[in-house]
Amino acid sequence: MYFQDRYLSNEQILMRDTCRKYVDEVVAPWIREDRSREWSMDPQARLAPHILEKADEIGLRYLGVPEEFGGIPLDADTLSQTFAVISTELSRGDSGLADKLVQNWKISVLLGVLAPEHLKKKWFAAYMADPQFLMAHCLTEPRGASDRWLPYNVPEASMETKAVLEGDEWVINGRKQFISNGYDAKLYIVYANTDSTQGTMQGTSSFLVPRETPGLTVTRCNETIGGRFMNNGEIVFENVRLPADHLLAHNDALGKAGIYFQPGKIMVAAKNLGIGIAAYEDTVRFVHERVQGGRVLIKHQAVASRIADMATRLEAVSALLRHAATAVDEGSPDAAILATMVKVFASDEILKVCQNAMELHGGYGAMVEVGIEKYFRDAAVCLHSDGTTDVSNFKIVKSMFPATAGTYAGPE
Amino acid sequence: MKIAVCVKQVPDSWVEKKMDGQVIDRLGVDAVLNDLDEYAIEEALRIVEANSPTGSAGSESGHEISLICMGPERATEALRKGLSMGADNAILISDPSLAGSDSLATSLVLAKVIASGNFDLVMCGTESTDARMSVIPAMLAERLGWAQLTHVHKLDIDVSKSYAQGVRSTEIGIENISADFPVVVSVPDKINVPRYPTFKGIMGSKKKPLIIKTLDEIGFAAETVGMLAPWTAVNDVIPRPPKSKGIKIVDTGNGGNELVAFLEEQRVI
Repeated sequence: MYFQDRYLSNEQILMRDTCRKYVDEVVAPWIREDRSREWSMDPQARLAPHILEKADEIGLRYLGVPEEFGGIPLDADTLSQTFAVISTELSRGDSGLADKLVQNWKISVLLGVLAPEHLKKKWFAAYMADPQFLMAHCLTEPRGASDRWLPYNVPEASMETKAVLEGDEWVINGRKQFISNGYDAKLYIVYANTDSTQGTMQGTSSFLVPRETPGLTVTRCNETIGGRFMNNGEIVFENVRLPADHLLAHNDALGKAGIYFQPGKIMVAAKNLGIGIAAYEDTVRFVHERVQGGRVLIKHQAVASRIADMATRLEAVSALLRHAATAVDEGSPDAAILATMVKVFASDEILKVCQNAMELHGGYGAMVEVGIEKYFRDAAVCLHSDGTTDVSNFKIVKSMFPATAGTYAGPE
Repeated sequence: MKIAVCVKQVPDSWVEKKMDGQVIDRLGVDAVLNDLDEYAIEEALRIVEANSPTGSAGSESGHEISLICMGPERATEALRKGLSMGADNAILISDPSLAGSDSLATSLVLAKVIASGNFDLVMCGTESTDARMSVIPAMLAERLGWAQLTHVHKLDIDVSKSYAQGVRSTEIGIENISADFPVVVSVPDKINVPRYPTFKGIMGSKKKPLIIKTLDEIGFAAETVGMLAPWTAVNDVIPRPPKSKGIKIVDTGNGGNELVAFLEEQRVI
């Protein structure tokens, strides 16, 4: 039922197997036990503490943390590929849980590169000591996020959240929306405009903001259709004052965050693939057990054809994912395009895989207690996350044909 | 204390086995660390952890766990898994002349390595999931002239007294068996639940010593093992007969009795 291990290194196979056991023994049984948990309207009560505690035990939380702070260094030349393998496997258990951890890994890598030593020491120690410690990357604003990727870079398009230096303190005012881990993070990386005469690329700075900082208010948990074990939040900054050393990158924060963006898209696609694999596995099991018309479903041609279609789509996503992740690891010039392509391709294909899973389960496919509908909902979230399909497609075309492609959008 | 754990790389136990002539096809399927060997590694780790001042295995424990394996170079993958679980080092005996070795030859080579290692304890899984002969532990003990505690599902080690005590279940009852070091122990899957490698263990295993040696390097004559000097021969291989349809018992008032009669007939109860 599983796909072949082709192209994986021995370490990647071991990591994949460790994640698989964690998912099969800890995550999946807990989710199956009570499917109403994700619908609790107390966001912090949704995910049981033991899920992250067990992730902590096997070292899943420490990926991306520099070795000197107790983290686990992964091979740099295959980093995105390894993260893709792990994210896929975790998402097989739950895409929201995968999202929680993916955010932590990416921010750990970013802090390891950008934060001053004394702050790294302080915050990595806090992170390592607490299995429930989450981090969030605050980029998106209520006005929009995907437009920052559009091929224009003018002051009018810059962030509305502003940071101003007053004496030796930075003062931040603004609002961030659709922030992964935003509702329960203990540490935030916040992006704000620091030069209104420049475009986003040259006028955005990033800051390290502890949750307890006066003026920071988490205003809501965004209740979403899927990925519900990751608490997406809205955060307001009102005269948030930070010491000058909490500035991570001045004016070129988006350039400095490049190490975050491409692997980020790879991991969105990888999580998406994991949802598809889980839907496929459950469906394969079902069509071998369920009898209709005197024979198991797999023996009916129409069913068999759908199973083949699901498997083919999964293999296609998996192949492009590996290709794109390799390009990112190699720092190839086409890495950004490929990472965007696989993010878009995966979201479309996996939704179809999940649709097939729902339809092959008949009425059971729509029942909350069976769990197939969850895959469909979780996959639906991937359509927009980390860039909508349409904006991503603009970006692909603009990257391929910079001289002839239109600007598509931007200030009139 | 020095513990050797004998391990083998086998075709994935969950995949249907295919034959390549008279031997199992090992190239066409994923290869894994023999499932039962994981229990032996786990037990070795628990013994060390229980007798370590830090409570964990590794160089600071004052004890050492070495994995010993015979197989093609690809078997390093299985050894890396054992190292990821927490073993300290590994040695692989790999030589083209070893291809096709039977259990008598395998035990000869493993015993040679163990004899030169000054070990107190040798741990084995009860069998490999490919050949399923279940004879290597006993053969090793005989070749080494050591005591053997085979098939023990409970094991107590007293390091200060260099003494091992085990419990095994047999058809006639429960046996309590014990022996002084050095001793060969084999364990079934009832003994523990093997840990899975942590990410730290997986990355750390790359820095642990894994030595590959040829027969010549361990002072062994190639003519005495492998296809050149078979002790046993496979004369014929017959595929497993297809699953029969089974017997359907329809309960018309006496179903329970019929079921019991069937189970008795099959000697299940």
